Amino acid sequence: MNIEQNKKTEEILNSLDGAQRASVPDFFYTRLKAKMEKGYEPDATRSWVLRPAFAIAALMAILLINATVLFTRTNNTKENSVVDTDNLQSIAAEYRLSESNSLYDLNVEK
Amino acid sequence: MNELELIQGLRSGDETAFKFLVANYQDRVFNTAIGIVQNAEDAEDVAQEVFIQVYRSIHNFKGESKLSTWLYRIATTRSLDLLRSRKSKKRFGFIQRLFGEGNEPLHEIPDFNHPGIAMDRKENAAKLFKAIAQLPENQKTAFTLHKLEDLSYQEVSEVMQTSVAAVESLMHRAKQNLKKMLEKESG
Repeated sequence: MNIEQNKKTEEILNSLDGAQRASVPDFFYTRLKAKMEKGYEPDATRSWVLRPAFAIAALMAILLINATVLFTRTNNTKENSVVDTDNLQSIAAEYRLSESNSLYDLNVEK
Repeated sequence: MNELELIQGLRSGDETAFKFLVANYQDRVFNTAIGIVQNAEDAEDVAQEVFIQVYRSIHNFKGESKLSTWLYRIATTRSLDLLRSRKSKKRFGFIQRLFGEGNEPLHEIPDFNHPGIAMDRKENAAKLFKAIAQLPENQKTAFTLHKLEDLSYQEVSEVMQTSVAAVESLMHRAKQNLKKMLEKESG
């Protein structure tokens, strides 16, 4: 049974031996010339942008840029807010702008 | 017309040279393509694309390999590209059907009958082609070029830009895989 099955498999594997070369259909050259005269662009050069690999890579690049921008901006905002508070406090101290320095206080002094 | 004259003719845009190229290589290109894509119409499209590419990029051909090697390389690359686009279309069609679009039914490609196979071997060859279609790309290319185009391992290695040892290994693995698939098929 096994020998028979092996023989059958071998027969199938060797079924291409001695095969004749397939010939192009009639008027192949005429159709080829017509295609060339129409200014045909092969698929591979025309639609590489539409290939899934390119689309996925482009999407990943956009997401990465978005994430980077978002991350750096969040960090900058935090740092800036600390710096801003420091600056404001130093200016307030320099000009003696404290909460007590109000119109009401001035009136009292008078 | 020898190969050098042919290349020079093609480079200067001579139509006689192009006609000579097509007449001499069309069947080799078509036979390679039909072995890989397993459909006569698609194989004709591939063969046309191959000659258009050769015509347009003959200036890039450095002459380091034979013209036939270059043609076989383009033919196998184009055929594999077509298989990939067929596969992605099939996947896209499946997704469309999930969302209720696309009315074409999903159907299996019918058994392929190579026109050059003798009548008494057609049934076995159809089984073999069905199994070849499931092989990885490089095994499929090596097996088709060697078995269908009758290229030597040396010639296959030049087309695939690899070593003879690598081709031997690809052929060995291709045969092992085909054997497994055929045994599984016959139960």
